[in-house]
Amino acid sequence: MIDPSHGGSDKGATFGGKLVEKDITLRLARELRKELEERGIASRLLRDSDIDLSLERRAEIANEQHAGLYVALHAGRPGKGVRVYASFLTDDPQQPSASRFMPWESAQAGALGRSQITARAVSDELRKKGLTVANLAMPVRPLNNLAGPAIAVELTPETDDPQSPENVKRQNTVAAAVAAAIAQVRIQLGGRP
Amino acid sequence: MIPRHFQITIALVLLAILISGVVIIRMTHKEEALTLQAAEAAPVAPVVGGKQEHIQVLMAYDDDQALRWRPAEVFLPADRGLRARETLRYVLAQYLQTPSPHPLGKGSDIKDVYFISDDTMIVDTTAPFADGHPSGILLEELTLTSLIETLNANVPGIAKVKFLVDGKERETLAGHADLMSFYQTAAVHELAKEFE
Repeated sequence: MIDPSHGGSDKGATFGGKLVEKDITLRLARELRKELEERGIASRLLRDSDIDLSLERRAEIANEQHAGLYVALHAGRPGKGVRVYASFLTDDPQQPSASRFMPWESAQAGALGRSQITARAVSDELRKKGLTVANLAMPVRPLNNLAGPAIAVELTPETDDPQSPENVKRQNTVAAAVAAAIAQVRIQLGGRP
Repeated sequence: MIPRHFQITIALVLLAILISGVVIIRMTHKEEALTLQAAEAAPVAPVVGGKQEHIQVLMAYDDDQALRWRPAEVFLPADRGLRARETLRYVLAQYLQTPSPHPLGKGSDIKDVYFISDDTMIVDTTAPFADGHPSGILLEELTLTSLIETLNANVPGIAKVKFLVDGKERETLAGHADLMSFYQTAAVHELAKEFE
């Protein structure tokens, strides 16, 4: 499940006035879907147009569909390169009861190990492409609400120009690296070889 | 029969009155908005007394994406709640200076701080703290980590912290960092090490 973060009235971060996070994430998401398809991996975008979608609803959809992996795409400053995040459980994970229900705020607890494996694999692939990478654990909404493996990838735009070839090139490089990493860890995540 | 030139004069006078009315209403609204903005930008909590103390605060530096401890001289009351509030307000005041190592929106401040149990604290921030916060995962997390870890170092016995915005829960700080959860100060202490 690919989540191009923000959308609609929620622009996310802005870069120089014209370049906005919601547009970067949608383009990156489409590129990632293409890269995954080329590797025979089915994927779905949580939004494929400029629409409003709450963080809660995004997590609900991914959980309802039992997504094998949730990848939230972001763009932000400061710094250069790419930051890859796994969840950081801010509070004591509550133990799920005997029923199949799990606490919303710590739904990620049972999948955190697989999320960290995926984040490390993505970071390694990005480094192989020559990018500066930081692998971090952070309480990024809605990662803690996901019952399956979940990561967030935040890239820093090269320039503030929406049409900049450097930005497009970087997005394509990031998409290819993330797809390659997902193909590698697919079996560990419970997917078919 | 009213002469034509007299009709035109009356029409022009009425039009002038109408335009003046609209202009006055718009100016009044603008003045009210400016007054409200000024009120939001002003400190919301009274300055408290206390003993001047030498403390350490953890400051965020955007340029090198790092958190660094810095010494500070701050007047701190003995009461834990007031001490926590003044410590946090000091950190925010540093971010509001020009130039700032980690710029925040004008009017960012702490409205109130209170305990809901002996070790669990609620920090109520002003609306501009969230509304004017730059959007971005790292920028938002640096702010929260800086505030929580500074509390951890200067106000003993706080195990959990939750942030409100203008008295209400908010899902994220500026689209990314989780504000719904209670933050365990011990866990944030480990998180902060990644940036020091």
